[in-house]
Amino acid sequence: MVLSSISPLFILWAIRGNDLIPDRYFLTFCTLMVVVPNAFLWLRVRTTKKLQERREISVGQADDHREHLLVYLFAMLLPLYAANLNTWRELGAALAAFGFIVFLFWHLNLHYMNLVFAAAGYRVFTIYPPADNNPLSVKASVVLITRRVTIVTGEQLTVYRLSDTVYLEIDT
Amino acid sequence: MKLNFDVQQARTVEFGVGRDDKRGQTFQLLPVDGDVQGALREMVEATWAAMQEDTDSPPKYEASEKHASSEYLHMALADELAMRMRELHQANNMAVDSAALSDPAQIFCYFARMTDRKGRRLTALRRASQFKGILKGRLIHLVSDALKLVEDQVFKLDTDFDLLIDSEAVHILRPSGFEFAGNLQEAILQAAPKNIKTIEKDLPFVDFAAIGDYAAKHPRAARYLASICGQETKSIDKGALRKLCKQTGVEAQVVNGKITIADGHEMGFLEVLDRRRYELELVKGSPERFRAASRRKIEN
Repeated sequence: MVLSSISPLFILWAIRGNDLIPDRYFLTFCTLMVVVPNAFLWLRVRTTKKLQERREISVGQADDHREHLLVYLFAMLLPLYAANLNTWRELGAALAAFGFIVFLFWHLNLHYMNLVFAAAGYRVFTIYPPADNNPLSVKASVVLITRRVTIVTGEQLTVYRLSDTVYLEIDT
Repeated sequence: MKLNFDVQQARTVEFGVGRDDKRGQTFQLLPVDGDVQGALREMVEATWAAMQEDTDSPPKYEASEKHASSEYLHMALADELAMRMRELHQANNMAVDSAALSDPAQIFCYFARMTDRKGRRLTALRRASQFKGILKGRLIHLVSDALKLVEDQVFKLDTDFDLLIDSEAVHILRPSGFEFAGNLQEAILQAAPKNIKTIEKDLPFVDFAAIGDYAAKHPRAARYLASICGQETKSIDKGALRKLCKQTGVEAQVVNGKITIADGHEMGFLEVLDRRRYELELVKGSPERFRAASRRKIEN
């Protein structure tokens, strides 16, 4: 899922090409890096629907994080796209930077930043649970990918589980 | 009594386990597929059917009562003794842990949480006995025409739950399961001082100091206190109380205007307050004293 978030970068790299690696290898690599993670994501969505991995989440507060897409675009996509890949050292440095970003996306749970979802009209909300004194209520927030424009406090949402912290609402 | 939930219209079915680990007792959800969800729904239906078969108007659960192993009882969700079950039922966005079954020996119960189309919630819980028991047994299954050992870890669901919780009440089918999962022994012991204060307010003419000390060490006495709290104590007549104590062999004296219970008679006194000690004189001149382990009020 993390790699599917970063797959647009490989589209850009494939268009730019590379002087060090023959196109047939480089293009094949870039194509795989676009197709495989997104196929995995599609498979995950399909599996969660097939297994009916639905759950109920209560909304205490919901924050719309559209601006995260801009952060994603300017902090990750554009700098890596602009990186010079025409010497082995710079290619190695770009790949190392790419590795760090993948790790950070995974570690900071930012893998929901996906242009495929954005293109399909989905928005990303951070859902905070209602404040209560119940020791069994989870205090941590979850991420919800949904077509809704707003989410009202106190709502009960039925969502599909993509991971323990990322959920997808398919029918609104 | 009705269940404030429509099982046929269940929109979500979640599954979870209660574990006894280093952090104490914790509850976690586990992702399950549609087939397991269907099985859990059937278990809820079977539980409700068993309850309905038993009675339409279940008596209230009483901590001091000796209940049958399977008996439909109810308890208000707001009741202090239902605190643990209330927390489980009302928890929002419970933690999901796919590895919660990694150490099955730690599991003490499993549960299902459902919501129906009206947004109402139902929690069903079962003490983990068979669920864990399979770990110790060896299973075989038929492959072609030969039996083979099942190598994978297998968890067995039961046919029904011990209890169901809706927005208003805990519907109990197996009282022992409720007591175990609800950690009732500890809750009753902890509630004993508060219960004594409540009873003391209604019975200012009784010295409860010795009973407080006794209940702190004797869970049965703490259970009686919990039960007495749920009964009418405000209008108890001092004279009638003394008379019943005397009739049923509970030694009590009046010291400084207060009824003081003699050492060794604390349980007897609590049984009197809990309407468990009585005297009959069916044979003239031969009164008989009884202690009721289980009793039910005759309403009409």
